[in-house]
Amino acid sequence: MVTLTIDNQTVTVPAGTTVLEAAQKLGIVVPHLCYHKELGAVGSCRMCAVMIHKGTLTGLKMSCLIAVEEGMVVTTTDERSMALREQVGEWLMLNHPHDCPVCDEGGECQLQEMTIAVGHGRRRYTGKKHTYPNQDLGPFIAQEMNRCIHCYRCARTYKDYCGGRDFGVMGSRNRVTFGRFADGMLQSDFSGNLIDFCPTGVFTDRTFRFTSRFWDLQEADSVCSHCGVGCAVIPGGRLHQLQRVRSGTNAAVNGSFLCDRGRFGFDYGRHPERPRRARRDGQEVAVDVALEALMSDARALIDAEGPEAVLLLGSERASLESNWLLQRLAKELGCRVPVLSPHARRHQAAQAVAFDLSHQLASLADVRTADVAVVFGVDPLAEAPLLALALRQIVRQGGRVVVCDPRPVELPFAFEHQPLSPLALHELLGGGDMDGKHLRDLLRQAKQPVLVAGADLLGTAGLRHVHSLAQRIATDDRACPIYPVLAGANSFGAALLSLPEQDDLMTRLEGDHVRMMICLETDPLVEGPDGKPLGERLARLEKLVVFDYLPTAVAARADTFIPTCPPVEASGTFINSEGRLRRFERVLAPGASLAHKEDGAHPPRAFFLTQPDSEPLPAPRLLQRLLGGETSLAQIQAEMVMDRPRLAALPQLKAGEEGERVAATVARALPEEKLPEQPAGTLQLVVSPARYGSDLLSRYARQLTPRLTTACVYLHPEDAERHGVQEGDRVDLDTRFGRFTLPLALSETLARGCALVENSAALPEPIPGSGISFCRIGRGGANG
Amino acid sequence: MSQTPQLLFKNRKAGETVFMPEYRASGGYQGLEKALRTMTPQDIRELVKAAGLRGRGGAGFPTGVKWGFFPADAPGVKYLVCNCDEMEPGTYKDGVLLQADPHQLVEGMILSAFALQTQVGYIFIRYAYERQASNLRKAISEATAAGYLGKNILGSGFDFELHVHGSAGRYILGEETALLNGLEGIRPNPRLKPPFPATRGLFGRPTTVNNVETLANIPHIVMGGAQWFKDLAMTTDGSGTKLFGLSGHLNCTECFELPVGIPLREVIETYGQGMWRNKQFKACLPGGASTPYLTGEHLDVPLDFGTLEKVGSRFGTAGVTAFDEDTCMVAATLNLIRFFARESCGWCTPCRDGLNLVKWLLEQFESGTGTSDHLLMLKEQLRNISGNSFCALAEGAMGPVAGLLAHFEQEIVDHIDQGRCPFHR
Amino acid sequence: MKEIITTDALLDAQQLGDFVRHAGEIEHPRELIVDVLRAIQTRYGWVPDEGVELTASILGLTAIEVEEIATFYDKIFRRPVGRVTMHLCDSICCWSRGGEEIAAHLKKILGIEFGQTTDDGLFTLLPSCCLGCCGIAPALMIDQQFYGPLTVEMVDELIATLRRERSV
Ligand SMILES: Cc1cc2nc3c(=O)[nH]c(=O)nc-3n(C[C@H](O)[C@H](O)[C@H](O)COP(=O)(O)O)c2cc1C
Ligand code: SF4
Ligand code: FES
Repeated sequence: MVTLTIDNQTVTVPAGTTVLEAAQKLGIVVPHLCYHKELGAVGSCRMCAVMIHKGTLTGLKMSCLIAVEEGMVVTTTDERSMALREQVGEWLMLNHPHDCPVCDEGGECQLQEMTIAVGHGRRRYTGKKHTYPNQDLGPFIAQEMNRCIHCYRCARTYKDYCGGRDFGVMGSRNRVTFGRFADGMLQSDFSGNLIDFCPTGVFTDRTFRFTSRFWDLQEADSVCSHCGVGCAVIPGGRLHQLQRVRSGTNAAVNGSFLCDRGRFGFDYGRHPERPRRARRDGQEVAVDVALEALMSDARALIDAEGPEAVLLLGSERASLESNWLLQRLAKELGCRVPVLSPHARRHQAAQAVAFDLSHQLASLADVRTADVAVVFGVDPLAEAPLLALALRQIVRQGGRVVVCDPRPVELPFAFEHQPLSPLALHELLGGGDMDGKHLRDLLRQAKQPVLVAGADLLGTAGLRHVHSLAQRIATDDRACPIYPVLAGANSFGAALLSLPEQDDLMTRLEGDHVRMMICLETDPLVEGPDGKPLGERLARLEKLVVFDYLPTAVAARADTFIPTCPPVEASGTFINSEGRLRRFERVLAPGASLAHKEDGAHPPRAFFLTQPDSEPLPAPRLLQRLLGGETSLAQIQAEMVMDRPRLAALPQLKAGEEGERVAATVARALPEEKLPEQPAGTLQLVVSPARYGSDLLSRYARQLTPRLTTACVYLHPEDAERHGVQEGDRVDLDTRFGRFTLPLALSETLARGCALVENSAALPEPIPGSGISFCRIGRGGANG
Repeated sequence: MSQTPQLLFKNRKAGETVFMPEYRASGGYQGLEKALRTMTPQDIRELVKAAGLRGRGGAGFPTGVKWGFFPADAPGVKYLVCNCDEMEPGTYKDGVLLQADPHQLVEGMILSAFALQTQVGYIFIRYAYERQASNLRKAISEATAAGYLGKNILGSGFDFELHVHGSAGRYILGEETALLNGLEGIRPNPRLKPPFPATRGLFGRPTTVNNVETLANIPHIVMGGAQWFKDLAMTTDGSGTKLFGLSGHLNCTECFELPVGIPLREVIETYGQGMWRNKQFKACLPGGASTPYLTGEHLDVPLDFGTLEKVGSRFGTAGVTAFDEDTCMVAATLNLIRFFARESCGWCTPCRDGLNLVKWLLEQFESGTGTSDHLLMLKEQLRNISGNSFCALAEGAMGPVAGLLAHFEQEIVDHIDQGRCPFHR
Repeated sequence: MKEIITTDALLDAQQLGDFVRHAGEIEHPRELIVDVLRAIQTRYGWVPDEGVELTASILGLTAIEVEEIATFYDKIFRRPVGRVTMHLCDSICCWSRGGEEIAAHLKKILGIEFGQTTDDGLFTLLPSCCLGCCGIAPALMIDQQFYGPLTVEMVDELIATLRRERSV
C-alpha cells in the first residue's frame, strides 16, 4: 500500500494505482475523457492534468498515467492544472457542433460534464468548424461524427476490448474518423457497447433515438434475463414503455459491458401480442376471478383424485421468489412438490452445478483474470456472450484459451479449438488420452487456471468429470475454479430450490393421474425437449393454467391464463450461473404504452379510471394472493431464508450491487449417466442455441430480427462426402425429435461425425441440452 | 571545400553513389572486421559512450547511454531499427548521405547490431527517398554477398539480417515509437512510454532506434577511437562532425560535414556564402523546423547541443534555414505551424486541435484581423501545448512559436496595429 | 454503374504470388500493408476499395484493418488521381524561396486548385510537406523524380514536356 497526499488530504491505495484513481477514492474527480476504468488509460485527451509537487517526476502531469508513489504530493486545483484543463476543454470544443439541444446524449454526456467541470464556457475561436460525413452502421447504432472529440474510446472498446474487426480509425490529424470500411450493420455481438463508452453523442442507440430525454427516463438497476450470466443492466422507459437498456456495472460479472442480445433484445415485454388480460375459457375475466376459479378447480381435483392430480411447473425464467412461492402453493394445496423446470436434463445439470460444484465456482471476473482457460462444451457467443468477452481478456493479457467443443466455435480472439464430438468430449473428460494430457499439463503450468463447463452439452456426467479434473489440477496454493454455463437467467436458482422428490415433468405426466397443470412463466412446449409428446399429453388434461408475460404457444392453449410481468415490471431475484444472487428492481409499472406510436401518431386520446392494460401483476404477488395474503417482497425473502439457509444473503441484497454468492453446500447424490452406444451409420446430433432467437425472450424481441440467421444443418465436408450430400442441398435429418428438412452447410471446423443444427425461431425444435443422441442424414425427399 | 576532416562525406562526389568496390577501397568494412575480430559487444558500447556521440535524429540523446539501457545480453529476438524518415522541413542530410555512400549505414548497422546483439535490422525509409532505398537494397545485397550480412558474419558466429522498409508519407513516422507501429503495420500513433522500446519495441521485443547519421558514425568511431572522435568537435563537451543541411535565404544551400561547435556566423558566411540577394540576416532555424529561431545576436554561438540550449534553442538535426530581413516572421511561423498541424497524427488533443488553434491565430495576425486578445491566446497556447502533448511533435511545433514570441513579438504587435502584414507590399 | 476492377488490374500475377508467399512466411504479415498498397498504387495509379480488400485478403486482415493504415498516409491515394501526380513542397525552405509563387503559377496554368485533377485526367496537384529537397528549393516531385529550384519558366517547360509525353 502507498500513502500520498492529494489536495492536502492523505489517501492510502494499493501500489500501481494511478493518481487519478487515488483522487477518485478521495471523492476528487479529476476531469478526464479518454480514461475509462474498464479500458484503462492511454493519455490521449490530456485533460486529467494535475501538479505533482513531490515525486520522481514533478510538474504538470496526466494523472491517468502516473502511478502513485509513497509520499507523493499532488494538487488538482492549482492554477496550472486548472488552466491546462480549461484549455483542453476549449480545444475539444473547437469543432464540436454544440447541438446538445437535439443530441440524444444530452443530459448523460460526459463531454458536457467535463466541459463544465473544466470551466470552459466562452467560445473564442470564430473560425470554421470541421465537419464529417456519417455512416449507416445498421439498425442498432447511429453515428454523428461531428460530435466526436477523438478520445478513441470507441475503437478501444470495439476493437481492443471486444475484438470486433469491422470497425476502426481512419485518417489522421484533425480529420480522424471512426467507423466501418463501408456502410452496413456492425458485425460484433458487442457493438452496443459503443453507445455506453462513447463519452459524447457520436454513437447513440438507434432503437432509442428520439424517444425520450435521459432525464425523463424511469430507470432502475436490473439484471439481464437472456442467459445465465446475469449481467447488470439499467433499463429505462417512460410512459409505460420500455425504451432502452444500457449497461450497469458489476465488477464480478460483466464489468460495464453487455452483449447485443441483452442490450437490444429487451422489447419482448412490449410485444404487440403480449397477453395483458386474464382469460378463462376464452373469456376475459378479472384477475381475481381467474385466481379464485383456479384455486377451487385445483382443490376440487385434489380432493377427488389425490395429490397427483395437480401438477405445478416452475421455471428457469421465473424469479427465485416465484419458484419458492410455487413450492409453498403446492404445500397449501396439498399436491406434490412442483417441478421447477420443463427441461429435465438441463435442470439436472443445473443441480449438479448448484450442489456438487458449488464450493468451486469461478466468477466471470475470475475468468477475466485467469491465464489459462480450458472450455468444455460451450460455444460462448451462443450460450453466454459475456463469457466470450471475459475469455478474450485472458488472451489480451498473454494467456491461453482452449475450447473443446464439437461446434465450429468462433471467438473474437485467437484460441485453440479442439473439435470433439460429444462422445469424444465425454471420453476425453472421463478417460486420459493424449490430448487430455496436453490439457492437464497446460493447466498445471498455469498460474491461475480456470475451467469452463457447458451444462447443456456436458450434462451431469460431464460436469462431474470437469469437477474431478478441477480437483486434480488444484493445489494448496492454486485453485482451479469452474465457470459453469447454464442456459436460463435463473437456472441456478430453480436448481437450488429443487427438491429430490419433485421428479421430472414427463415422468410425472405418465399415466393419467395429472388432471390439471399450472405453468409458471414457462412454455414447456418449446422450453423443454419433449414438445410433441407433451403437446399430446396436454390435450388430455382437464385444466391447463398458464401464468406468463409472453404470447407463448402454451398460453394460447390455456383454459385459464393469468398475465404476469417481465423482470422490468417486477422486483425479484435471480441466481446467475456462478451462484451469485442478482436483485432486479422494478423499472416501470405495467400498462399500455402512452408513447407516440411508431408512425408518429398519438395513442388514443381517451380517459380511463385506471391505466389501461395495467392488470398484469408480478408473479410473486399473484402467488401470494393464491396463498391468501399479500406481504412485501422483504417478508417473502425473510421466510425463504428460514426455509433455505443457503440464501442467507438474500435480505441484504440490493439491486445494482455486486451481489453475494449463495453459500456452498455438500455434494448430493445425483443419478449417474451412461454414455449411449452409437448405432452404425449415424451421426451424433449436436443442437446448439443460435446466437439470437434461441432463448424464448429473444424470440419475442422483434428488434433482434436483423441478427437472426436461417436454419440449416452443418456437416464437416468429409462427412458430407461420405453421406453423398453437398453444400446447399436440402437434406433430411432424422432425429429422435422427428425429421427436419433443411439446407446443408459445410464447416471445416465442426467436429467430424456430427450433424449440427441451431435452435432458433426458424428451428424451434430440437432443443439444446437434451443429451447425446444420433441422427441419420439423407438427401431431401428420400425415404429414411 | 570544407576544412573539416571528412568522415561521412569522404566518398561524396556530386551526382554519384559509391558502392562496394570504392567503399572498400576507401577503408570500408575495416571497422567491422576489426570489431568482429578484436572487440566484444561490450567494448563497442563503451567506446561509443566514451566517444560522446549524441543522436543525430534531433533529440541529441547520448547514443552510448541509450545503448547502455539496452538488454543486449537478454535471450530472444531483438531489433535494431534505423530511422530514415527525415521529414522535418529543413532536414535533408540523411538523404544526401545515402545518395553518396550507402554502405556506411550498412556497416554502421552491422557494427551496432553486434554491439547490441540484435539479429534483425530494419531501415525505415521515407517515401520520397526511393532512390536512397534502392541504393540501400543494392548495398545490402553486396554486403550479403561479401559475407558481411547473414549468418555467421566473417566467421564470428554473429548473425544479422537487414531489411529496407519503405513508408508512405507522414512526418510522425519519424517519432521512434510511431515508426515501430508503422513497421508493424498498425496505425502509426506514438506509443505510451514507458515501456521504452529497449524493453518492448518492435513486435514487443527489445529494440533500439537510431538515426542514419548516428549509425553511420559508428565505423569511424571504431576505427579512429573515442578521443579522436571527440577532438573533431570545436566545443569541449561536443564530439564528432555533423552534417549541416543549409537552406533558405543563403547563396549556397548545400549539405556540409562540419565540426560540431562551429559558430553560426561561419556556417552562414563561409559555407552558405552569405545571404541571398545581398540581404541582411534576420533569423534562422538552427536545426530543423522544430527549433526556436536564432537571430543576429546569436551569430557567434557555437552550434552544439549544450550551447544552443543555453540560448533557448536546440541543435536538432543541424538543418540551418536562414531568413533575410524581408521575411515576415509571423508568416514564416504560420508556414511551419501549418506543416505541423497537417502532420499531427491526431492522437492527442493539444496537437490535433491545439495546433489548429495556433494556426488560426497566426492567420488572424497575418490577414490583419488579429487583436491583442489573440496575442494573449497565442501566449496561452505556447504555455499549454509545450510539455503537455503526448509525443514531441506538438512540443517541437511550438519551437518556432516560442522563438517568435521571444524575439519577434513586436512584429505581431505591428500586424495588429496596422491591421495588415507590414511585409506585404 | 460501378466499374468492376479485377485483381489483375491491381497486381500482376507475379507480384500477387510473391506477396501471398511472403505473407505466409513471416510471423506478422501486417508489416506488408504499406508494401502491398504501394504496389497496387504503382500499377493502378491509386488504391480503389478493391485494392484495400485485396490487400486485406492477401494479409489475412479485414478491409477496415487495411483502411486504417491506407487513410493515414498521405502518399497512398484512396481517390483517383491524374496520370501525373505533382507533389509540390509547401514547407518552410521552399516557401522561403518563392514556393507560393510557383504554386500560384501552377494552379493558374493548370486551371486547378490543390487536390484537384485537370479535366483531361492528366495532372493532379497536391501540396506536400518537405520532400528533402531543401537545398534545391522550391521543389516538386513527380514519380520519385525531383525538380528544383523551380522558376516560373521551368514550370512552364516541365508542364509542356509532360503534356507532350504523357497525354494519351
Ligand atoms: C515528430 C518527430 C519526428 C522525428 N523524426 C525523426 C526523423 O525523421 N529521423 C530521426 O532520425 N529521428 C527523428 N525523430 C527522433 C526519433 O524519435 C528518435 O529520437 C531518433 O530516431 C533516435 O535516434 P538518435 O538517437 O540516433 O538520434 C523524430 C522525433 C519526433 C518527435
Ligand atoms: S503530439 Fe499528439 S497528436 Fe501530435 S503527433 Fe504526437 S501524439 Fe500525435
Ligand atoms: S484521461 Fe488522462 S489523458 Fe485522457
